[in-house]
Formats: sequence, C-alpha cells, structure tokens
Amino acid sequence: MISWPVARATALEKLRSPGVLAVGFCLVAAAFFGGSGPRQAFSGPALVFLGMLTLFLGAGILSDELDSGHAQLVLLRPLTRAAWVGGRLAGAGGALGAIVSAAWVCAAAGALLRGAAEPWVPSLAILPLAMLWAFGWLSVLAAVGAVLPGWTNVAGAALAVVAWGMLRGGLPVLLRRPELADVLATVGKYLGPQDPLALATRPREGLGPALYDLCWIFGSWLVTVLLFNRRELARRRP
Amino acid sequence: MTGGPAAGTPALEVVGLKKTYRARGGAAVVAVDDLSFAVRPGEIVGLLGPNGAGKTTAMQLALALLDPDAGEARLFGGDPELLGARRRVGYAPDAPLFPRKLTGLQILDLHARLLGFGPVEARRRAERFADQVGLAEPARRPAGTLSRGQAQRLGLALALLGDPDLLLLDEPTAGLDPAAMAAMRELLVAQRAKGTAVLLNSHLLSEVERVCDRVLFLKQGRLLHTHEVRAGQRTLEVRLANAAAISGPLAQAVPEGKSEGDRFRAAVESEDQVPPIIRRLVDAGAEILEARLVGAELEQLYLQIVEGRA
Repeated sequence: MISWPVARATALEKLRSPGVLAVGFCLVAAAFFGGSGPRQAFSGPALVFLGMLTLFLGAGILSDELDSGHAQLVLLRPLTRAAWVGGRLAGAGGALGAIVSAAWVCAAAGALLRGAAEPWVPSLAILPLAMLWAFGWLSVLAAVGAVLPGWTNVAGAALAVVAWGMLRGGLPVLLRRPELADVLATVGKYLGPQDPLALATRPREGLGPALYDLCWIFGSWLVTVLLFNRRELARRRP
Repeated sequence: MTGGPAAGTPALEVVGLKKTYRARGGAAVVAVDDLSFAVRPGEIVGLLGPNGAGKTTAMQLALALLDPDAGEARLFGGDPELLGARRRVGYAPDAPLFPRKLTGLQILDLHARLLGFGPVEARRRAERFADQVGLAEPARRPAGTLSRGQAQRLGLALALLGDPDLLLLDEPTAGLDPAAMAAMRELLVAQRAKGTAVLLNSHLLSEVERVCDRVLFLKQGRLLHTHEVRAGQRTLEVRLANAAAISGPLAQAVPEGKSEGDRFRAAVESEDQVPPIIRRLVDAGAEILEARLVGAELEQLYLQIVEGRA
C-alpha cells in the first residue's frame, strides 16, 4: 500500500519547498508564542497555519509528478499505482509530522519558559491527533488531485467547502424550512475529516471523530487509487 | 549475443495499435493507426518520421502509458503492466522533467530503490550511472538547476539504471553536445552487444543510420516502410595513398570493386564483408588512409517514402 522510497523522496521534496518551510515556520512561531502549553499548540492562529500547511503540502501532491512526466518514469518501475499514491501521501504526511512535531516541542518549550505546567498525557496526545486531522484533509487533496491538474486540487477542495457552507446556510432560508439546518449540520459532519482533538482531554467525545478520521483517510486513499487507475499516465505534449 | 537480430520471443511486440486523440474543437486526430512491429534482443530499431508521425505515442502505447483504442502491446511476450516485465525495461522520454528540489543522485537513488536495490547498492548505482553519462558533478545539484542536455542525460541514466533488457529512447540526443552524442552512440552499440533490444526515436538520420539495424518509417501514425539498414545498399569506400600505382593489382584482387581517383569503392551486402575486402586490398599492396561504409540512401529513402519525393 505504501512505497517507502517514494515516501522518502516526497518528504525530502516537500521539506525543501520554500512555501512549506515558510508556513511551517509561522506554525512553529505561533505554537511557541500563542498557547499556554502544548495542549493549545494547535489552537487559534496556530490552527490557521496548520490548515495552511496542509494546503501547501497537498497542493499538486499527485499532479506535480504527473504533469512533469516523472510519475510515468516512476510507475514504469515494478510498483503499483496504489503504492505510489500511498507513498506520496505518506511522504507528505512525514513532512507534516516533522513540522507539527517541531511546533509541539516549541509550544512545550514556550510553556516551560512561561512557567505553565500541563498534564503530560493530554499534552502528548494532542500531537498525533492534530496530525490525524491534517492528514485527513491531505488525503482529500490527494483524491481531488487524482483528477485535477496542477495545484487546482486546492482550489477545487476550497470551492467545495465554500459551496457546502453556502448550501448549508442558504438552503433552509431559501426553502423556508429552518429544520433543514440541523439535518445539514449533521450531514456536514460526515463530509470531511472531523475534529479529533477532544480525544486528548475528553476521550468519550473524541474517540468517535478520531476513528472516523482513520476510516476517512483509508477511504480517501481508496477513492484516489480508483480515480487514478482510470487515468492515462503519459504526459500530453504542449 | 552480438550483432544482428536474434530469434525467439521479441522483447517488444505491438500488434494493430491504434490511438486517436481529441484535438481542441473536438476533432479526432489519429496519432497511431494499425501499427505493428517487433524489437528483438540484440537489435536496435529506429523510428523515423516527421513531427506528429506518432513516434512518441507509439512508444507510450508500447509501455502502456497510454491506453490503445485497438490492438495490443507485449513486453517479453506478456502484459506491459506486469511488474516483472517492467523490471526489465528502461525508458528515457523526450525532454524529461524531474522533481526540482531533489538532486540528480537522489532521483537515481529513488529509482534504484524502486528497482529493489538496498540503500547501499542504490547509492552506489546512482553514483556509477551518473558518472557513466557524464553527470558525476551536476548530479549533486538539484534537478531544477540542470540544463536541458543534463536533464536528458539524467533521463538516460535512469533508463540504464536497472540493466534493462529493453531500452526505449525518445530523442535521446536532443540537447546533447557532439561529444555526448558520440558517447551515446557508443553506449547504444555496447547495449546491443549485451543483447539489449533498443527502440530509438530520433530525427537525426545520420545517427539512426550509424547505429540501427532496422528503421521504421512512420507518417500520420502509419508504418509506411521497414528498411534493413545493414542489408545491402551500402558501399565500402576506401581512400588510398597509392591508388594510381596499384590500380592493376587492385582490380585483380577485388574484381567487384572500382577505382576512381584516390578512392576504391565496392558494394557490400553486410558489414561482415568489409574485413575480407580490406584484407585483400592490403595483400594487394594498398596503403589505406581511410575506410568507411557509405549509406547516404537513408536520407533519400526518407524523402522518397515519407515526403513522397522522387
């Protein structure tokens, strides 16, 4: 399911991207200065930067390679398309993990310097949970990237989110049926990764979203592979 | 295995391939039409044709990088999608692009690992093949900084990395300097000597003529003609220091040849005939300054077959 050489190369490539490094630096700085401890490492401005980092890592996650034609060389090796997709995702996830871990360490260091003390278990648990949430969105971008060229996967995913938001807000008003708002809110919970951060402090509330996100990631990978298997690999000449 | 075509399962075989693209505006463009050919181990086959003849598409169809509308391609007698077959194939596309942030060595290392080599062997191979294509130093830089010619060489190194039994090279000399082109020719001949089957797409007629055993002329996706480069239609031309003094003995020693000024020319059916003729010339007292096989007819053939000129 995962090609580790592809994952390694992808992580290296992403960690050398100026955009990823710039947003990663902002995330680390926000985590250091922002929260009162590692548990708040990914709240407020840091959460915005975590979202941006996910977008930068997921932009063109498949199409960069497909458009350049390098993917066709890689996929001429004894390697399945599923393993290649898994490797690209795992590599971007590795880069995400490295930056998120650095942010967490900086949040902990900042809290220690300010004299704030936090319980260790929830503080540690926040790290994989934040990664799980971001990785869930990364897998969405990969699925969209299996059909859209270049960095339009980010635009496509953003458009879908905005369109859903408008539908959620506008449909009950348009149809004059306010009870639809609750239905749409419930449906909306299942149209993307859920927020599993509550698991760090409130296991009963957070377990469901965390498990849902794991299933979401697997499902997204599966959809990505199914979509990608229908694609021709050759680069079209200009 | 050396020299000419060998019997047995072809390394690459395409049968009745057809591919149609949709152009802007919706019109159908036939890129490849009922194309069939085979490349056998130890054979270099050239694809010749004008731009848009379908040469690159034919290669991509052969490797299952494109889905054909009709027909099929077989690698070593099997499905091109089989992982075992892919392990034995090397492909160098025209104007390849690589991940800009990775160095050439890291890209080679990635491909070596995908071929199943361990980390130490992968690194060793990466350095060896970078060196072999003259990229020892540039391969340490990010691929985004490589020139077109250097990227072309990196593509070639990637194609050779797994010691393939079948090489498909799409315009491999584009962007290369003359020295690198000469090195490329040597490399192709060495690959043939090892028994590798090579499919070469090139616009350079001289290059094709010098290395290929067979040339396929394509136009508008159709195979117009197959030309056996090494069979017949070639002339051995020898420049002599003492042509005038030994014209009599030469005519006796090599009656099939003819003297003209300081040149002696003889028609040959294959390269195998060249050494005995040279030996007979030397025995007759000829002082040879230069000997070469002349085959300028490929250009004439191209103009005749592809361009339709008389």
